[in-house]
Amino acid sequence: MNYQGQPDNSDVEALQNLVDDTGYATSLAAIPNRIVSLAPSTTEILYALGLDSKVVAVTDYCNYPYNFTAWIEAGNMTSVGDFENPNMEVIASVSPDLILATGGVQAELVTTMRDLDYKVLVLDPPSVDGVLRDIELVGNATGTRDTTMSLVESLRSRINTVAQKVANAGSKPKVYYEVWYDQTSLWTAGSKAFQNELIEKAGGSNIFVDQDLDYFQSSAEAVIERNPNVILLPATGMGSGELFWGSIEAVKERPGWDTISAVQNNKVFQVDGDAIARGGPRVVDSIEELAELFHPELF
Amino acid sequence: MSKNDVETAYFRRTSRWKLLLVLLIVALVITVILSLNVGYAQIPFANILAIMSKQIPFLSGTVDPSLVLPMESAIILQIRLPRIIAGVVVGAALASSGVVYQGVFKNPMADSYVLGVSAGAAVGASFSILFGLGSVVFGLSLTQVAAFLGAVSAMFLVYNISRVGSRVPVTTLLLCGIAVNFFLFAVVGLMEVIAGDELHAIVFWLVGGFSNVLWRDIWAILPFVVVGIIAVYIYARDLNLMALGEETAQNLGVNIERSKLVLLVLASLITGAAVSVSGLIGFVGLMIPHLTRLVIGPDHRILLPASTITGAIFLVVCDDIARVVATPFASTLELPVGIITMLAGAPFFIMLFRRKKQSYAL
Repeated sequence: MNYQGQPDNSDVEALQNLVDDTGYATSLAAIPNRIVSLAPSTTEILYALGLDSKVVAVTDYCNYPYNFTAWIEAGNMTSVGDFENPNMEVIASVSPDLILATGGVQAELVTTMRDLDYKVLVLDPPSVDGVLRDIELVGNATGTRDTTMSLVESLRSRINTVAQKVANAGSKPKVYYEVWYDQTSLWTAGSKAFQNELIEKAGGSNIFVDQDLDYFQSSAEAVIERNPNVILLPATGMGSGELFWGSIEAVKERPGWDTISAVQNNKVFQVDGDAIARGGPRVVDSIEELAELFHPELF
Repeated sequence: MSKNDVETAYFRRTSRWKLLLVLLIVALVITVILSLNVGYAQIPFANILAIMSKQIPFLSGTVDPSLVLPMESAIILQIRLPRIIAGVVVGAALASSGVVYQGVFKNPMADSYVLGVSAGAAVGASFSILFGLGSVVFGLSLTQVAAFLGAVSAMFLVYNISRVGSRVPVTTLLLCGIAVNFFLFAVVGLMEVIAGDELHAIVFWLVGGFSNVLWRDIWAILPFVVVGIIAVYIYARDLNLMALGEETAQNLGVNIERSKLVLLVLASLITGAAVSVSGLIGFVGLMIPHLTRLVIGPDHRILLPASTITGAIFLVVCDDIARVVATPFASTLELPVGIITMLAGAPFFIMLFRRKKQSYAL
């Protein structure tokens, strides 16, 4: 079937039992036609499933696959405001029949929206598998199960291709992923962070994998001591796109960093900071991007 | 008492002061050396000594440096040492400005944080971060200049609102400080909302620390802090006279209003310089002068230098704690030093307030 046509029985059944990442079960009476996306990751999933015409509002941080800021300024898309604090009145004014939200900062808002009888799915995937499951969930909720299945299959096979390639690699580079750096502090990703799994799947090993945390303040001293072979610096396309780390040259010139293997061997890389941080289909782009940086000889 | 007795007493006291200052300086040097040993990387103390002695001309060659890894040398000289020296400079700056605020306002609760001076610096810095005023003038970034201007403006705002005649009573000072602090933090909050991706920079700045400080940041503020503290010291006698009451001071020929003005500008200059490197670090300026006063008494000629050195020692030790206290949870986890000083400072402030209720003499 296609989602503009009549749903078949299995699609209707799927609509009635939508269990999201918080374990909350939602039932939809019909395939939704007005969808609000409260996170860049959910926006990316909706557009990857070809639901362009059904998305009625996004956040100010959504910047992929289209330049939504320009659409919003031209009056062709509604903005619910920023991701931490979406405007409830704007959400209500577009009369959505499905809202895709995320966990953490939006938890309270989700409760409010459900109290007001909105249909809300919370997508907060803890892993790459979780992202694939969430894509399937959105497929079930929007009557796009065929499109979804082929998308998930292609994502799986791309992940497997990378896995097979890096399995032949002679070595596993030690990787430092930077979350934040300024004169007062340095933040990085531990074993509970999403980036930790992406680094592993790309055939690398996070130097802070032994730290049972997600994002945390560490020290330049620990980075120097753990001597990574590769340094990853995220560059976001959100806002002005200014880089907190300045430039690759500036990173290499940080005090004491000249003793780090990655700096000595020119393995300090800018990566797509949006793809690597969002639980959407582009996590696979990110795995491919990292694998090529870690094992250029295999690609 | 004959003139001779007075002279002997004065001589005894000043020689006791000199001894105290020498002891404090020795304690500071020992703290700095021991702090070089504190951090994630396990570097043998012998190697640290070898690395340090290589930097001192007449000692180089006394220790075999071949056993030292380049990584160890980088960590000691480029990470730990600048960090420790930043702790010394910022701690000294906050403590000495605390002495001035408490002396000028004749108020035990006065401190750059309570007075809104720090918040003013935060507004200035946030403003400059938000509008991308990154350029450098005289070795200082515009963020630092903006922090200083914010500090001075906030201080005069609080001073003028809370003044009753020529006095600044505790209650009005605290209330005005709180009001101005709320207002200024609301302004910072407002800037955070419109900051978007600059948000990070503002938020991190509000929780103080100097983990990744550069030598050049330290050199940029050092002249302001050193000259500021020396200039304040020249006014130590005026601070003593202010403590005796303004009438006495006027009678003894001190132009009280002018001295106050100079001292407040100097203290805000010192605070603004420190805050521009470290972000907001609370309560050092409140606690240290009090602790020092408890031990050596209220004479500003010794209180000021002793507090300055004690503040330096205190902040370096707090930063040592920040580096290691969270490691049982995760071996590379650090805390911002601003959290450590706040944890120590808030209970101290409450204790002071309770004592103040039973009449606190400054």
